[in-house]
Amino acid sequence: MDRRAFLAACSVAGLGVSGVLGRALFAATQAAADQEFFVFVHASGGWDVTLWADPRNERRGIVEPGSTDNLDTTPIKNWVDRKLDEDTNTFEIVQPKGCNIPFGPGIGRLVERADRLCLINGLAMNTVSHPDGTTYSVTGRHLVGGRVVASSIDTMMANELGKEQTFPSVSIAFPSSYVGDDLDRRVVPLRISNIGAITRTLTRSERWETSADRDAVTTLLADEARELAKHTQYPGALNGLALQYDALRRMLGSGLSEVFSVPALKSAQPSLDYKARFAGNAAINAAFAVEAMKRNVIRCTSLAMGGFDTHTNNYRQQPVVQQELFGLLHDLLGVLDATPHPTKAGKKLADHTHILVVSDFCRTPQINVAQGRDHYPNNSALVISPRFKRNAVFGKTDPDQLLPVPTRTFSDGARAFTPADLLATFVSAFGVNPRKYLRDGEVVPEWLA
Amino acid sequence: MSRRAFAVVSGVALLAACYHPRDTIPAVPVAALPGHAALTVDTSPKSDLRMVPTEAYVRTYLALFGGLAPLELQKRARGADGAQLFDTWGDYLATLGLPDYKTDLPRARETNALMLATFERLGAALCDRAVEHDLRGSKPRVVFDFDAPKELDVTAFTPRFDVLHRTFLGYPEKLAPGRAARFFDLYAKTLTRHAGDAGKTGKDKPKLAPNEAAWAVVCEGLVRHPEFHLY
Repeated sequence: MDRRAFLAACSVAGLGVSGVLGRALFAATQAAADQEFFVFVHASGGWDVTLWADPRNERRGIVEPGSTDNLDTTPIKNWVDRKLDEDTNTFEIVQPKGCNIPFGPGIGRLVERADRLCLINGLAMNTVSHPDGTTYSVTGRHLVGGRVVASSIDTMMANELGKEQTFPSVSIAFPSSYVGDDLDRRVVPLRISNIGAITRTLTRSERWETSADRDAVTTLLADEARELAKHTQYPGALNGLALQYDALRRMLGSGLSEVFSVPALKSAQPSLDYKARFAGNAAINAAFAVEAMKRNVIRCTSLAMGGFDTHTNNYRQQPVVQQELFGLLHDLLGVLDATPHPTKAGKKLADHTHILVVSDFCRTPQINVAQGRDHYPNNSALVISPRFKRNAVFGKTDPDQLLPVPTRTFSDGARAFTPADLLATFVSAFGVNPRKYLRDGEVVPEWLA
Repeated sequence: MSRRAFAVVSGVALLAACYHPRDTIPAVPVAALPGHAALTVDTSPKSDLRMVPTEAYVRTYLALFGGLAPLELQKRARGADGAQLFDTWGDYLATLGLPDYKTDLPRARETNALMLATFERLGAALCDRAVEHDLRGSKPRVVFDFDAPKELDVTAFTPRFDVLHRTFLGYPEKLAPGRAARFFDLYAKTLTRHAGDAGKTGKDKPKLAPNEAAWAVVCEGLVRHPEFHLY
């Protein structure tokens, strides 16, 4: 064999070995991820990042910082006055000792857990439309002619790691989507507007038929669906229906009424603030997430919290809304820290629960004539996950205009981070090939632990 | 060649070039062409089954209940039993897949387990109330348009099942081989499960007699059938 042939043979062999090893590594990572839980949160309406993730307390360029002129600062626990001009005060940056992330006062009590946060700033949104921004944040794709063209992150994770769960994905007013060919019918998000709606749907009386009667019907129907699927050219929908009949049997047979009862949830998780003005409903949904994870019946819980769309004088309450959202996350982390993992001995839920918080986009750096802030094509996102770097902030915006600036070189050159990069990195952290679900976006290894 | 002869030859050549013989291929019947002996219409489905739109489901449900208005149906389904069989329409709209623009909840285009749970709850309300109405002598019968003796064999069961099959799925049960036998098995096992109901009293006393419960279960199997929800 001459030298050239030898080198060619070696490179082919090397590629083959690396492919096998790569696949094995991917499979091993994914196998290790099948006992993880996910909570996705959508701050609906578009949050003002200058009050928490990308704090601004100086007038510079077009930036008009939050101040006593435009905000109700009394309820803001982290607000410390800082002189802005003669009769106006803005806020001091919130950055306790040991915290590597400078926050605005909207971060609320979550700053106490800054050592677990991974913050991504300067996400380029290229949109100021609510539906488009929301869709882009959770799918990594913009709308096409008003249509959602990709699955949302909760569907991706449920399809990879949650098919066998009773509830692969429960979506409570979250912008979930189920789009694509390579998806299991079991992971169609259970989309509901509130937890109470499930309670009534699952209520059954035993005085007409018994549970055994209903179970027999469901079993027969699953068989009928499978039988029909054998004789059709397109068996997908029928086989999917059969799987959903099976899931229904598990759902009704596992005594989950307490998981879906609002009073029972409040009593099971008393540390969450159900009386919060803006986050009260989200607290019930968070309690549901914890109870369902405790019983190992869920993989992904997605929830939303509104109140961030503050175009007018209601901007004065923006930091209160943020404080309640992050306060809820603080409390949720506390509950997860104290709750044992249902299948991993000696582990807590917090060790295997991954939280991603996103919003539609951010708000303008300037105050409009109605004393509010409008939509702006920049964004931030928060990841709380043992698989991501902690106490770290990535990405940035320019000081004068709050627009994302390139901070890294990607395969298509230097550019700012995008939601697609965030989602690609998120799914890759669990051994999932991002290209299976995401057309765009690149994995950013430096975000990962 | 003289100039005149050249012009004549050129003209003849030009005419010859313009000549095109007539198409002499004779017309033949299509069936005589190779591969066209038997022409059939391709009726095979070209796409997967889809979920019946929720509006169509609700409209059908109202019709099966006797053509009542939604609120009238709600009143009838609840009866004097509170929310044991039926809550309110508002409780089911989201889980049935209807969009809620107030909360930006989009329309569900695929079934899911929770939607099937809602179908079960609604199906039970329909069948139980229909049994109470039709099989206890009230006229006109809406769903169970037959008498229901306490004991039935498969021969007597099949024509009655056919009535329900045509009502819910729109075609004779004969076209679904084996289905009548499978549903008779469901009927018979339900009867067996309820054989001891006679001794129950008070709060445990069942609302339906064993044969009524068995017919209600058969009815639920059809109103929740895949062919009822997909097209």
